[in-house]
Amino acid sequence: MKKQRMDRQSLCKASPLSFIQLLLLTLVLFWTSQVIAAPITFNTALPVAKGEFVAREHLVVNQSGDDPSGTKRDRTEVASVTALGYGITGRLALFGVLPYRDIDLDMSSGGQPVTRSNRGFGDLSLFARYTTFQYDQPGRTFRVAPFAGVKAPTGEDDARDSLGALPASVQSGSGSWDYFGGLVMTYQTLGYQIDGQLSYRTNGEANRFEAGDITRLDGSLQYRLNRGQPTGGTPAFLYGVIEANLVQQQKDRIAGHADPNSGGTRLFLTPGIQYVTKRWILEAAVQLPVVQDLNGTALENDYIFRTGVRFNF
Amino acid sequence: MRHCFIVPLLLWSLGAFAAGTEYVMRVDGLACPFCAYGIEKRLKTIEGVEKIDVDLDKGLVRVNVREDVELAEPRMLQLFKDAGFTYRSMTKTPL
Repeated sequence: MKKQRMDRQSLCKASPLSFIQLLLLTLVLFWTSQVIAAPITFNTALPVAKGEFVAREHLVVNQSGDDPSGTKRDRTEVASVTALGYGITGRLALFGVLPYRDIDLDMSSGGQPVTRSNRGFGDLSLFARYTTFQYDQPGRTFRVAPFAGVKAPTGEDDARDSLGALPASVQSGSGSWDYFGGLVMTYQTLGYQIDGQLSYRTNGEANRFEAGDITRLDGSLQYRLNRGQPTGGTPAFLYGVIEANLVQQQKDRIAGHADPNSGGTRLFLTPGIQYVTKRWILEAAVQLPVVQDLNGTALENDYIFRTGVRFNF
Repeated sequence: MRHCFIVPLLLWSLGAFAAGTEYVMRVDGLACPFCAYGIEKRLKTIEGVEKIDVDLDKGLVRVNVREDVELAEPRMLQLFKDAGFTYRSMTKTPL
């Protein structure tokens, strides 16, 4: 019941921005061009053509609950995530990602229900990806691309409410410079696509808080559901998508000391669907936690829902 | 009487002149609709390109150009490389 209330609250608060952004994107779709078929929860090694832009707009609902601490914490985040890619060459691409975040944390304090809320632009991530290996055949390609980037502290990290400074999990920004890198591989055919990614993020310190470093291993299978007889030309592709996300986070550090109630390992299974045309992509997926081996009273994920569009211009 | 033959011949030759050339290029790595549009977009920047058809199943790109336009292989090699794909070969047929 409480979760349902929180969902409604968050969605209502986030809806004006999300609605305007989605409306603009819908309009943009009528005069923009190509898109990239790719995993829904992570990147791909497929190219961004030289001098071309690729844009992506995602609505992400991240719900956490099942609080083992007894304080009835229930966290809901609704984010509108804008990503833009640009091809420097056929192999080198630059990307920028900026979220707008609306966060609510319900909890019990002294027996009284308390809600801590915040909204605003989050931290800007910038990264480069270079295709180091490319093997093309008729109707198929295999590519390997390392990537590296930085997350700049553009979001607010010292927001307060009537109860004082908001906890780090409710701030829209981390306040720290974080660095990340990894390797993504893609094997794409006319019938299916497989992607895999290994990445590592080292988080910096701000306000005497340092989030634990994160190691991720992601995999994705996109299977074309509407492949029949050869049709010629460039028909739209409908993909059924299944992804897996293994996320291991080290313990946070508060004033230099490890927080025993943070970090751990999560494994998500992510079913989804993706409709790819020559001009745009529509997609949706839900990340369902199947394993959550968390430290102490760290808050568990209930689900992460993602939906969005991609296009080029 | 001779004009009866010359005029149609001239008209036919003008029609042939306007028909141009079809290039059929084999491009590897094409496996998704988005690839097609990126390639189309680059080909459209070439003066004299009149029609583009990307056949994903066959991995072929067909381009019709005006008679006075030549699609040189080195240029196509670079064009597809910039788009992120691999140009292999082409055939040229008068239309």
